[in-house]
Amino acid sequence: MQEQDLYNAEEGSAEDQRGVWGGSADGEPDRELRVPGKAERHGRQSRTKIAEEKRLKEKKRVTPPPSTFQRFSVDTNESLHFEPYIPSDEDEPRSPSFRGATVFSDEVFEEEGETEEGPPTEDAGGSRVDLKEGLGGHSERDPPDVFCMDCKVPTQASQKLFGPHKDHRVIQISRAADEVKEDLQKGMHKLEEQIGLMENFASHLEEIFITVEENFGRQEQNLEQHYNDVLQALSQRNEQGAAQLQDDKKLKLEALYTQLLECGKTLDVSKELIEEAQQIYRDEDKTAFLQAVTPALRRIEELSQDESEIKLSSSMDFENTPVDFSDVKQMMDSVNILPAPSAPVINPQVPNSASSTSARVCWSLFSNDTVDFYDLHYHPVLDDATFTGLQAPDALEIRVKETYCTVRELLPNAQYEFWVTATNTTGVSPASEKAVYMTVPSPPIIKPRECASCPEAALIRWESGNANPVDSYTMELSEIGAEGGANAVTESIVAVPTCECLVQLQPGRHYSICVRAVNIGGPSERSEPIIIQTTGTSFHLLEDTAHPCLSISSDGLTMFYTDEDLPLSGMVFSDNTFARCVAVLGELIPVRGKHYWEVEVEDRTEFRIGVAYEDTQRNGFLGGNSTSWCMRHVITPSRHKYEFLHNGWTPEIRITVHPKRVGVLLDYDAGKLSFFNAHLAQHLYTFQCRFLHHVHPCFALDNPGALALHNSIAAPAYTMFN
Amino acid sequence: MALTQVSSNKCCGGFQKVFEHDSTELKCRMKFAIYLPPKAESEKCPVLYWLSGLTCTEQNFITKAGSQQAASEHGLIIVAPDTSPRGCNIEGEEESWDFGTGAGFYVNATEDPWKQNYRMYSYVTEELPRLISAHFPADPEKMSISGHSMGGHGALICALSNPGKYKAVSAFAPICNPMQCAWGQKAFAGYLGPDKSKWETYDATTLVGSYSGPQLDILIDQGRDDQFLSAGQLLPDNLIAACTEKKIPVVFRLQQGYDHSYFFVFSFINDHIKHHAKYLNA
Repeated sequence: MQEQDLYNAEEGSAEDQRGVWGGSADGEPDRELRVPGKAERHGRQSRTKIAEEKRLKEKKRVTPPPSTFQRFSVDTNESLHFEPYIPSDEDEPRSPSFRGATVFSDEVFEEEGETEEGPPTEDAGGSRVDLKEGLGGHSERDPPDVFCMDCKVPTQASQKLFGPHKDHRVIQISRAADEVKEDLQKGMHKLEEQIGLMENFASHLEEIFITVEENFGRQEQNLEQHYNDVLQALSQRNEQGAAQLQDDKKLKLEALYTQLLECGKTLDVSKELIEEAQQIYRDEDKTAFLQAVTPALRRIEELSQDESEIKLSSSMDFENTPVDFSDVKQMMDSVNILPAPSAPVINPQVPNSASSTSARVCWSLFSNDTVDFYDLHYHPVLDDATFTGLQAPDALEIRVKETYCTVRELLPNAQYEFWVTATNTTGVSPASEKAVYMTVPSPPIIKPRECASCPEAALIRWESGNANPVDSYTMELSEIGAEGGANAVTESIVAVPTCECLVQLQPGRHYSICVRAVNIGGPSERSEPIIIQTTGTSFHLLEDTAHPCLSISSDGLTMFYTDEDLPLSGMVFSDNTFARCVAVLGELIPVRGKHYWEVEVEDRTEFRIGVAYEDTQRNGFLGGNSTSWCMRHVITPSRHKYEFLHNGWTPEIRITVHPKRVGVLLDYDAGKLSFFNAHLAQHLYTFQCRFLHHVHPCFALDNPGALALHNSIAAPAYTMFN
Repeated sequence: MALTQVSSNKCCGGFQKVFEHDSTELKCRMKFAIYLPPKAESEKCPVLYWLSGLTCTEQNFITKAGSQQAASEHGLIIVAPDTSPRGCNIEGEEESWDFGTGAGFYVNATEDPWKQNYRMYSYVTEELPRLISAHFPADPEKMSISGHSMGGHGALICALSNPGKYKAVSAFAPICNPMQCAWGQKAFAGYLGPDKSKWETYDATTLVGSYSGPQLDILIDQGRDDQFLSAGQLLPDNLIAACTEKKIPVVFRLQQGYDHSYFFVFSFINDHIKHHAKYLNA
């Protein structure tokens, strides 16, 4: 309907628009205002413009452009909806219907046209000029001095009282002119807006052209394919039919041939018989004849009775089997229909595209399908143990327009199955293959209490941080500069299979070390770092070796042997704990070189401090066997007594000043274990031993008391002299 | 003071030499042995003074103790003087092996006829160091002292009487408390007279009681099978008790099976030189 109006409106609008353009925009004087016919010639240009616009508008509706179009069409309709103009020869002013301000302007021009009719000799310019001036005052009467707003005609004041304008609103011409000018302005503005919209629209046209081409291309391809399919199906049918016919022919011919042979045989038999019969017939000997004739007669009778089949064994005609073209028909029917898309192709997981709670899933179109949107489905992959197969976990769905989606709120270190379907107006594609994506694990948690260091190495231990196993771990370390800032990662150790790693370091530095867990999804975030100083040796006490009477402080560096008498039943022993000697082992890194640590003791503390093999007898006393070496302090009634025990043997040594801080130096390479009074820098004793295995620091208290371990102290210079 | 080189033998990359000179303290010609390590060719080295025991000369230590290897490694000069003035022809000096010749006891005698020549204390603590500093690439600030038996006693009393002069001190089977043993009583009575207060100035155990000065770190090795230990001549327990009381750091090692001989010294000389080197090379 709208088209209809538009079309009609063309004729009217052409003039009017031209009028506007001519007057204000183009500045071109319009000369052909007289009759619609002439107007049409000029209007044709604008008409074609508008027709194009109309067609474009149609196309536009398929892919709606920005909102300007909407406004444009609505407004255009309104503004272009005119009743066809039929100029009359009357001088009488007509009373057209009002329709908003724009219409008002029409009246103005109608007025113009009307006035034109009056003096045919006037040219358009002149009449327009007159219009501008406010009134086409070319009546044969007196010059008008008032203006009837109702009729839109200038008239005389006198007329108001008596004439047709009796009940109309009549005002001064000048005032009327002003009012009309206002309306004119409004009309012009409106049209200017429309021009703007049109220009916007025009600028979109290029894109539209390209889209049209694309769509055309797709449709063409589609069509070709469809028809190809149809033709293929048809030719298939053809071949099938032909083959069938061939077979039929063969069968028929064979049957007939067989028949022919049989006939031949029968003929032969019959002919023989006749010859025989004739022979018998010619036999002069009647007796012999009579004897021979009976069987012959019988046989002739048989044969004659035997009406050989003279009927054809198979018909000469071929049947017409109706060919089933239903599927071809279906194909023809669907030719014009946009095919549903084929299954998309889901991509395998790109490394490092996942985080611990999200994964970026990508897929692509199988062919050049038109797709409106995709539905991505996914559900977690459960262990076989929990997944019975009948109760598939509910799949979640995400609808996206792009060919990728970052799926969030996933669990870390978990596998998810993804598949995707594509949908367009025709329908939904089959589901793509299922792809398994994995989120990266949660970061591990370093266990500082279980880490150890020495000048040339560090042993880092951590917890996985994930309930399920991960593929491996990556350890990253960076040296912290003197100014305290952490540098970029200086070293990465990858493919660490277990939750611990021994790494070689430079002595006397600070390092920041962190760990990541790795699975096929990629590496996790970094764990909280641990700061390692390669100064001196740092280790912790192995609590599970401690005698039950020993309690270890929370920082793992102080041990107490309390006064309380724990009943034997109250103690929990294990294979690994010391049972008689109230002792505990420390965890030392299995790295050769020198290790140094200090132990703080009190005046009255009876202690044993030294090293032992990991498998030292838990039932023994430190120093009392060949698997441990220690310095022992005993208090006798008269004095402090010091022993340096190994294998139950000690040299006799007297020390006059009781060491409150014992320095221990373990030198694997030189095979020495030295003890010092750290406060006095005094060497006390050195064991010369060849260590067969790595040893652990060991500590024991022979009486209630305490020992405090001090780590991360660089071996003092004086220790090298021993 | 002119030095005459008596002998020189290359040893462990350095040189073991013996010099002779006229001693102003002892008023006779004295010999001393000096080991110069390789390092002495290019720079000044610290000096370890070794005091030998009864009946020894400057030769015993340098031929029997095996000190040159460690001295060479640690870059120490070892000076080993004689144990008493020689050739003074004092009556009675040859009578016993534990008094007089070869038994100077490192005291400054106050009694006649000994007081002219028997001034080993001053010789060791003053004359010799001046001599060494003047004629050898020795660092005068870095001295330490050690000795065996009577020499151990000498090392202890020199160190205890001169706080800060010796950076380290050690001893092999020293006579720790001469006032309480036969050897000491005989020698002190002879050199110092009956006044026990004079004896105390030369007794390590008593000197410990009145010591005040920089912290010492004394290493003492004693053979367990030393006949003189069992004879009560050495009395280390007294010294240890005194040091424990006074909180003077001592590490006293009773070495199983070892006797009083140079074999014992040889066995542990490396430990002692390392002990000295720790402080001299610090």
